[in-house]
Amino acid sequence: MSIAPAELARAEIAEDTSLDPPWITLVWNDPVNLMSYVTYVFQTYFGYPREKAEKLMLDVHQKGRAVVSNGPRETMERDTEALQGYGLWATFQKDE
Amino acid sequence: MAKAFKRRGDRFVARLDDVEREVVVGLLQQTHDFLAPAHRDPTGDPFDDLVATMGMRPQGDPAPTPQGPFDPALERLLPIANREDPAMASEFRRLTEHGLRERKTANLATAIAALAADGDRGRDGDKVRLDHEQAQAMVVALTDVRLLLGERLGLRTDDDADALQDRLEAASEDDPQRYLAAYYDFMTWLQESLTQALMS
Repeated sequence: MSIAPAELARAEIAEDTSLDPPWITLVWNDPVNLMSYVTYVFQTYFGYPREKAEKLMLDVHQKGRAVVSNGPRETMERDTEALQGYGLWATFQKDE
Repeated sequence: MAKAFKRRGDRFVARLDDVEREVVVGLLQQTHDFLAPAHRDPTGDPFDDLVATMGMRPQGDPAPTPQGPFDPALERLLPIANREDPAMASEFRRLTEHGLRERKTANLATAIAALAADGDRGRDGDKVRLDHEQAQAMVVALTDVRLLLGERLGLRTDDDADALQDRLEAASEDDPQRYLAAYYDFMTWLQESLTQALMS
């Protein structure tokens, strides 16, 4: 798998399993990752617009973590794996 | 004297002299070897060993858990993926660890090759030219280098980052942590410029 964006595959999965209970992907604050780089990853991987990517990055930085995506478990696991590939501190869990 | 990355048309261009290039390639290589599925034995070189192996479990520490590897740097590069469900975290690691290590090492290899190759997508004297794909590999590779160096410098919270400066000022001249910190700052500067160039 490459680290390239995977929006197409994501969209298909989201459609097929829309009735599953929601899961979330979290990114946690760390002192190493640059604010610019975290924004870049959210834009590149998720295809989020600059403004949304920056808001999520600031949430990570100021609140210690942010929910960066939600959906079926398989998709959240894939997001977590991809974000860890980028070096972000990503985890997934059931939404509460 | 190094010059940070800038976008020039469809290329990302920086300047690194031979010494600087050697430092960057060396750190990329050590991170590559650290993440490659088979672990490397200590080399006997104090600096290499500090970067590559110092975080290994000291004698007497508890045995590794199924949720995660015991080197704190590995735990940062391949973090526990579910903090609420150890079984799920364990399963995730079993399914993803090999692939993540392979992709990270492939990325690091691409970055190393880009700094070593001559030509339009590579080096030209002190100039480094990357195409978009190489730049993407490089910016991710620099992250992994910084995560490894950061862990070796004890950077786990924002407070640690603030305290590092004081600690370094108190450290002796030949303390290897000083070299690590200087390399870390250099990698940070390089990565920041490449990130900005990729976003412009």
